Amino acid sequence: MNACTLIAKKERRALLQNQRGLAWLLAYSGILSAFALLLISNQELSLLDNAQVVYMMAGTVTAAGALIAVIMGADAYAGERERGTLVPLLTAPISTVELLMGKAAGLASAWGIMYLLAIPYLWAVGAGGQNLGQAIFYLGLFGTPVVLGFGYLAMALSARSGSVMSSLLTSLIVLLFSASPLLIGPGLRNSAVGKALDAVNPFSGALNTYDAVIIDSDPLTSQLGRLALVLIWLGLMFGVARLSARRPVFR
Amino acid sequence: MLIDANHLALTLDGNTILKDVSLHMKKGDVYGLLGPNGAGKSTTIALLLGLYSPDKGHLQRFSEQDTDIVAIRQRIGVMPEFAGFYEWMSAREYLIWYAGFYGGLQAQPDSLLERVGLSRTGSQPVVQFSRGMKQRLALARSLVHAPELLILDEPTNGLDPRGRREIHDLLIELATKEQVGILLCTHLLDDVERLCTRVGIIDDGRTVLEDDLEHLLRGSGRPRYRLHMTDVPEGRPLPPLVHLLEWDDAWWTFEVDLHKGMTMGKIWEDLLIHGWSFDEIHIESNTLEARYLELTGTEKPAQQEKAA
Amino acid sequence: MKHFKYLLTSLLLLSSSLATAASLQLQLQSDTANPTHPTMGDWMHFNSVITNTGQQPIEGLVAWISLVEVTPGKEQPMDLEDWSAHKAVTGTTLQSDASLQTQWPMRLIQSGDYRVVISATDRNNKTVFTSPTLQFHVAQKPVVESARILPVALGIPLLIGGLLGVQKFRRRHKTG
Repeated sequence: MNACTLIAKKERRALLQNQRGLAWLLAYSGILSAFALLLISNQELSLLDNAQVVYMMAGTVTAAGALIAVIMGADAYAGERERGTLVPLLTAPISTVELLMGKAAGLASAWGIMYLLAIPYLWAVGAGGQNLGQAIFYLGLFGTPVVLGFGYLAMALSARSGSVMSSLLTSLIVLLFSASPLLIGPGLRNSAVGKALDAVNPFSGALNTYDAVIIDSDPLTSQLGRLALVLIWLGLMFGVARLSARRPVFR
Repeated sequence: MLIDANHLALTLDGNTILKDVSLHMKKGDVYGLLGPNGAGKSTTIALLLGLYSPDKGHLQRFSEQDTDIVAIRQRIGVMPEFAGFYEWMSAREYLIWYAGFYGGLQAQPDSLLERVGLSRTGSQPVVQFSRGMKQRLALARSLVHAPELLILDEPTNGLDPRGRREIHDLLIELATKEQVGILLCTHLLDDVERLCTRVGIIDDGRTVLEDDLEHLLRGSGRPRYRLHMTDVPEGRPLPPLVHLLEWDDAWWTFEVDLHKGMTMGKIWEDLLIHGWSFDEIHIESNTLEARYLELTGTEKPAQQEKAA
Repeated sequence: MKHFKYLLTSLLLLSSSLATAASLQLQLQSDTANPTHPTMGDWMHFNSVITNTGQQPIEGLVAWISLVEVTPGKEQPMDLEDWSAHKAVTGTTLQSDASLQTQWPMRLIQSGDYRVVISATDRNNKTVFTSPTLQFHVAQKPVVESARILPVALGIPLLIGGLLGVQKFRRRHKTG
């Protein structure tokens, strides 16, 4: 088993066998459950409302996934440093790239678990409505780069700063800023600044795509620009993480 | 040679950490790396492990041909000062997992755990380990791949006297029987005197002394120790090489002749065998401590220990 | 006599106005393939025929579909945004006696009673012509079911909580 696989395996086990990891998954499923349970009271939703619900569930999964990815990313280097487990990794016969790849693969498998957990929720709220299949497909296609991108950003900051608190706070601020167009409502989003922000914001990109494909049934071809945006975001953040992880703070 | 480092210098973020550090080690050496806090000991270790690259100087690990740091690390075992683990794993699971980086364990995990005194706790999650147990597990981790060079940073921190003695015995066995080179970074001069064959002192980023311990101690006269006796050893013979100078109630002062191959640990054992029972050792003049203080000036390191 | 002059002038003006005014006739029918008892999520198609019954060609014809909910107590015009992507025909020229046939697809998004109507006007005239209306009922289809949501929303956290419990138990067991 190569070093990258060993680290990825450890990261996955840390999520599924470590109490802290399971607690994060419990919190994640708690968010999705709370949202799903809110819908039970409303039995007479229109198809549009239902598509809106599926869209919002996909958005919630992306946001919750990004949040957990940020926490895991911030912990990736700085948490290991603070717990004294980073030096044994750095002094083992592995390169810093292998270490990063292992961490990145661990994060990807954690998102994989979160994605799989999200599918029953999407089915539960969306099986009677429209575009459930699209929702699941596009959550994978657009949610994955957005979530992993935020995780890699946190990982980069974690390697660079050596502090969980500092990297977590900075990443959360970026995540909140990215989600802000959604919080401030459509009025401000239609302003010139709002539109410009939407054009470069991967989080908005993913949510706008969910809106377009789940509610409006738009085809993939109309979403290629946004797909490029989220893929560029993923590539950029992985590049930043790779640069930072070349010489992580370990003391 | 295991390590041939000459005139290493390193500047990090504008701060010159190392100015002129040299270190030479061969197989079977137990090298005590000493120095006040902030002198550059840990940075020197980080350089040896390839975590930093020196700005100046020549650094060779193993042979001139060995330049790939990943391959070099394959031959080095490291015990960092702060022993951290994935505490949700059991000790056995952790060792098996960590050995994966080196292509698997060189011995059965249980025999390795037994070697460091953790034979009955292998299936226990590390979260339940005491600090001393974690120190032992850290030592086991550094041995998973049967390294040629062992770098230990404060290995006996948090250990009780019996634990210290057991770790000392293990290190002596590794160095003498398996010819493992051991670089010991510590504040405890007693540990150095007991274990080391060679010593290097770093102060303010410079190597201020590097010598064989025996030569160092003989060169400055016979080392002198004051021992606190738990009973009055009247009429008991002294072991060879130990000379009684004076006594005052329970405090007895001795001078010791150090011959080649003789360590302080062996001297203390001989005293115990001859029926001399003591529970505290104070290091007097003509010792490593005196030399250390003379060279570094500022800080007085840990100077006493409870005898096992 | 003076009054007769005014009357004559008015009649002349009116007749010239009538000679240039567009005259459109609109017909609207439900497609024969439409479900007899439509339910939410079904597609319906409406076929319209717009005929220029005037003597002049009509330029810049605009025709559009409107949907009005007439469920008792919920009477309101509907925003077609999510019901149909095909909401209007624009910029068409229609010769005298010529007809324009159009099919209007619509996805039934919400339950209730609805009335659909086609309207048309053109660039030069202010008159809006409308078709007869068609009324239909869309049956409710439950889209959110507690029978689906409850097992998932409660089951998954319970499953993860159970895993946590097993971990704790195993840890205690190992200690013991």
